[in-house]
Amino acid sequence: MTADSLAAAKAQLREEGWCVVPGVLDAAGARQALDRLWAAADASERRGVPTFMPVLDPNASNVRVFYLLELDPLFRELIQHPTALALVGSLLGDSFLISNFTANIARPGSRSMALHSDQSLVVPAPWAEPWALNIVWCLTDVSFENGATLYIPGSHRWRSRSEVPPDADRRLRPFEAKAGAIVAMDGRMWHTSGANITADQDRALLFGYYTRAFLRPQVNWNACLSAQTQASLDPRMRGWLGLDVTANTGEVADLRYLEDQFARREAPA
Amino acid sequence: MSPADEPAPAGGAAVPSPTRDLARGLRNIAEHGLTIVPDVLVGDQLRRARDALYRAAESDRARSREQKFGLDYAHDDTNQRVWNVLSRDPVFEDLAFHRIAVDYVKAVLGWPALLGNISANITGPGGGEMVLHADQIFVPEPWSSEPQGLNVAWCLDDFTEANGATRFVPGSHRLNRAPTPDDAQTATAPMEAPAGSAVVFESRVWHKTGHNHTAAERRAGVFSWYTRPIYRTQENWFLSLRPEIRQFASEEMLVLLGYRTVGLGLVNGASPA
Repeated sequence: MTADSLAAAKAQLREEGWCVVPGVLDAAGARQALDRLWAAADASERRGVPTFMPVLDPNASNVRVFYLLELDPLFRELIQHPTALALVGSLLGDSFLISNFTANIARPGSRSMALHSDQSLVVPAPWAEPWALNIVWCLTDVSFENGATLYIPGSHRWRSRSEVPPDADRRLRPFEAKAGAIVAMDGRMWHTSGANITADQDRALLFGYYTRAFLRPQVNWNACLSAQTQASLDPRMRGWLGLDVTANTGEVADLRYLEDQFARREAPA
Repeated sequence: MSPADEPAPAGGAAVPSPTRDLARGLRNIAEHGLTIVPDVLVGDQLRRARDALYRAAESDRARSREQKFGLDYAHDDTNQRVWNVLSRDPVFEDLAFHRIAVDYVKAVLGWPALLGNISANITGPGGGEMVLHADQIFVPEPWSSEPQGLNVAWCLDDFTEANGATRFVPGSHRLNRAPTPDDAQTATAPMEAPAGSAVVFESRVWHKTGHNHTAAERRAGVFSWYTRPIYRTQENWFLSLRPEIRQFASEEMLVLLGYRTVGLGLVNGASPA
């Protein structure tokens, strides 16, 4: 994509809380990723990890895959795709973590999960700044009918639960996009999965979830990734996954030494 | 508590008198930001913890393994930090997971909670002060209305004004913000307490290491730092914990170390242990 269109996408993400970048994968690339996703879903079931999560979804028509980064190097490439990371960095700053990378395939008959913002589920109000965002990879065309994620325009500005209006469900709009697009969404945006009301269309999405680096990741990557996979990662990727000894000590606001920070010494006590 | 229980305020600041009573301690934290629990470590347990810490500190120094902290005084080679003491000697498990500490964690932060770190700070003669800070400064402002963490300072030596007792700004937690450079001159009071005490303070309290102006005294404190379960720990336990701690851990310890979890820190969508 051009520098201008990336800049426009970043500006829209900052202002409106979301943006769509079309064509990050071409048609063949999206098709290949979808094939690999189904292979990963099969592999996950073979390992004994269920792909239906009753706590999240009303019925088994939603297929969830949790182990993407371990199961296929393609997903380790997508989670650090330059376009995705450019959007992540523009919203969260340089210090962020990969919190999770999962898939949700909504098959015909799947229904909506609860309305929520990702931040409201985890961190206390006030939700003044984005501390998280989703990069959603569309591996199929995504429409209202096949279960596009539904969001509420402007809801990323709601600072507490009391600002959620009683008619919130009626304000929902679909993120519609073509296969190969990515949708970026501020962690404060209120949203839900759509219902798939088609007879025969799957809607496949990957959710790359990134947070500010002081937050605990959704996944324990140290415990989750095999030694072989961990050994294949470069230092930057190890940092984004929080695998190393640098834990929550690197993002203190002012780390200058005392005598640099203060012009005059405090009088001895 | 009655006013008669209160010692004379230090430097015009109120330091609550020590108490073993949890309800009273919680009121102290709400009002002053901290409470002092006396005589938690006594006799052999205190001696073993103190010996283990000074042995670890000596070992680190002999092997050039000392690590400074970003908020420490720059050219101070007297004060010493010892990181992740949990993995240095089992006696520190008794501190990190002490019934009294966990009761305060549950009451102030709720449950589940995480052990973010447990490290030691030893001041030596001439040791300098630290930058005035609050422990939850990694959380961007505006802060929510509740503390996001809790620190339990274990006094392995007497903490005195002279030997560098941690200093704090009483009531500063109620400002609900981090100190700025303009706040550097704010009056502080020393957390004075006898060896074996635990000083419990919430994460918004402004504090710093005190200046040790004794000729020959060192004073050791072990700081157990706990947070709500949404924050990344300071220590990556999954990398650095002695394996037998996890192997023999109670349910409560597994929660505090992040192995028994809901919603965050998962493996395949489920708790790793």
